[in-house]
Parts: sequence; structure tokens; C-alpha cells
Amino acid sequence: MNGKLMQGAIRALRLGSCSQWPASVARITVRAYATPPKRFYKKTSVLSSDGGYEVVLDHRKLKTPKGTPFLVRSEPLAIAVATEFDAQKEHIERSRMHLSALCFTAIDNPNNLTKLDMVNYLLNFIPTDTVLFQYDDEKDLQDLQLNEWDPVIAWFNQRYETNLQKTLNITPPQVSEEDKMKIAKHLHSYSLDTLHGFIFAVDTLKSIILACAVIEQMLTVEKAVALARLEEEYQLKFWGRVEWAHDLSQQELQSRLAAAVLFVHLNCSEYFVKQKSIL
Amino acid sequence: MSGTKVLRSLLHELRQASPNGCIKDNLAARYILAQYKKFETTDQQLCKARNEAIFLGQTYLTYLSSQRNYTELYKEFHGRGERSVRDTADLVGFKLPTDPK
Repeated sequence: MNGKLMQGAIRALRLGSCSQWPASVARITVRAYATPPKRFYKKTSVLSSDGGYEVVLDHRKLKTPKGTPFLVRSEPLAIAVATEFDAQKEHIERSRMHLSALCFTAIDNPNNLTKLDMVNYLLNFIPTDTVLFQYDDEKDLQDLQLNEWDPVIAWFNQRYETNLQKTLNITPPQVSEEDKMKIAKHLHSYSLDTLHGFIFAVDTLKSIILACAVIEQMLTVEKAVALARLEEEYQLKFWGRVEWAHDLSQQELQSRLAAAVLFVHLNCSEYFVKQKSIL
Repeated sequence: MSGTKVLRSLLHELRQASPNGCIKDNLAARYILAQYKKFETTDQQLCKARNEAIFLGQTYLTYLSSQRNYTELYKEFHGRGERSVRDTADLVGFKLPTDPK
């Protein structure tokens, strides 16, 4: 990869230095995007088959990118995916279908991750957690972080019986082995599918503490995204809000996080109804 | 947000998302309505965590509305490439040589 880049750079330099080359020869690079596939179906529906629910586009069964049939255990999840496919207008915008993408990733598991890999990935996230890095040089920002982030850290410490401490300078916070074990134990209680959703949430928020809080229903999705973007929001007050950057990223993060939270909840919530027997 | 408000917003978003604007036989709408019927009296008696149903509803609402807002912003601001000669001429009030005087 690097070698190729170097070669490209050297060629560009050579092209620039040779004056006898007419300017028109210099190649203009055009980024070619793949056109999204057209919407080839009219109606979407959900089929219940043994062991799960399938999504049907007209009469074709939905398949994952790897070619395995789409099959999920939860009915609402299948309905949500069918609705998402139904919401596509002329083209199927796959990059914006977070819920379907998450299901596909969980079914295909393209990186062949095991539960241990994923838990380790999440554990390695703790020392770089967003809410543990606070800033004490600016009074207003520090107050904001103190009021908004500290209660979440306190909740996390209480909920998982850990002792995570925030840091006010560049040194990463110390996480003891004991705390790591406790969090790992909690994460291991989730299934492999659910952990995919968990990783998606953590990657979106850049914080395992906020992700746990929103999955445990302590925060709403909007609030969690606002907390993850706390400093950005603070700086916006001075430098102005740009719709195509700040709003766009906020909406994107919200939809990603909501997809992850839905996925986790619908995958691990099982309930049964106990009916009164009428004698 | 109260349960009724979430339901109304959810149906609104689903209507916006559906291709023909009609959710009479929409799967998701039916499912959500059925869930509402089920948890009408309480959402604690069915061994669900407190307020779990309403939380899920709110999360789905956020998902739908954020998707819609994102698409709107993207459509508004995403570059459509270079303007054609005619577009540029129209922009500054010029006429093309081929246009009638």
C-alpha cells in the first residue's frame, strides 16, 4: 500500500518537473463511486419460518452480502429491516441502512470475530473513553463536563461496581485488572450477535460508559449523542453552527446509535406472557 | 415523552418513510399498534423492565427521524458536480450564442 503511494507521488513529481509534457497529458483523477442498485421490488414483507423470521422483497428472499439467507430470531427486528427496505425510494442506499447493515454483519460475521476478540476490543476502549478525559483549563467547559459527564461515570461505577477515575491531563486513566474483569464478565453475558451491536454503539459514541448507559436505558439516544459531542457543542457557541457539518454528523450519530440500541434490545429481550387461568 | 405522543410521532415518521405515504397495511405500523394494545394497561406486568416498551418506541422514533433529517441535509448540501454552461449563463443573466435574441 505505502509502496504504491510512494510510486504515485514520485510519478506526480516527475510529471510536474518535465516541462516538455503538455499540461493536458497530466491525468485528472476522477473519483468513481459505485452507483447504488435500483429498487427492484415493490413490496416487502416478513415470513416466519422455523427458527426465525425472514424478509421477503416481492417474492425474493433477502440475502446477506455473503449470500446466506437473512434470518433473525426477533420479529420486530425483521419488521424494522423490512420497513427500512420499503423506505428506499429509487435506489437502495445501503450506506444509510444501519439497522440492516448491523443485522448483515451479525449474520455474516465477515471478520470471523469470536466473543473473546470483541470483549477484548471493548475492554481496550476503556482507557481512551471520551468521558474520562476532561479538561480543566477552561472554566465553563469544565463545569459543563462536571455536571454532565460525572453523573454518568458515577452511575457506571455504581452499576458495575468498578472504580473508574477521570483524568484531567494527557495521561490515560488507570484501569485496574479487577475493574476490567468485572466489565468483561458483564460483556460475556451477551450473545455474539448482541456484541456486534454493542461494538457499533461504542464506535459511534467513542465511549463505553455512554454506550452502557444508553443500552441500560439510563440515557436516551439523543442525550447520549449530545454528551459524546459535548465539547463540539460547547465550541459551537463561539464559532457558529454549520448545518452541513455539525447537524449532519449529529443526525448520523443519532441514527447509528439508535440502530445499535434497537439491535441490542431486540436481540436480547425475551419475555413471556403469563395468563390467568380461568377456572 | 408520553406514550401517545411517541405513537403519533412514530406513525408520522413511518408515513414519511413509506414510498406512497400510506401506512394502512404497513407491517411496522401494525406491529407497533399491536404492541400498544398489548401494553395498554401497564408495561410492567408482562415481566418487562420498567418503561422498556416506551424506551424502545422512542429509540425507533429517533432512528426514523434522524434518518429522514440526514437524508434531507444530504440532498440539500451534497455537491452535484460542475454546473453546465447553460446553468452558469443563467446564473449571471447571460444568453448562449444559440439562444434567440
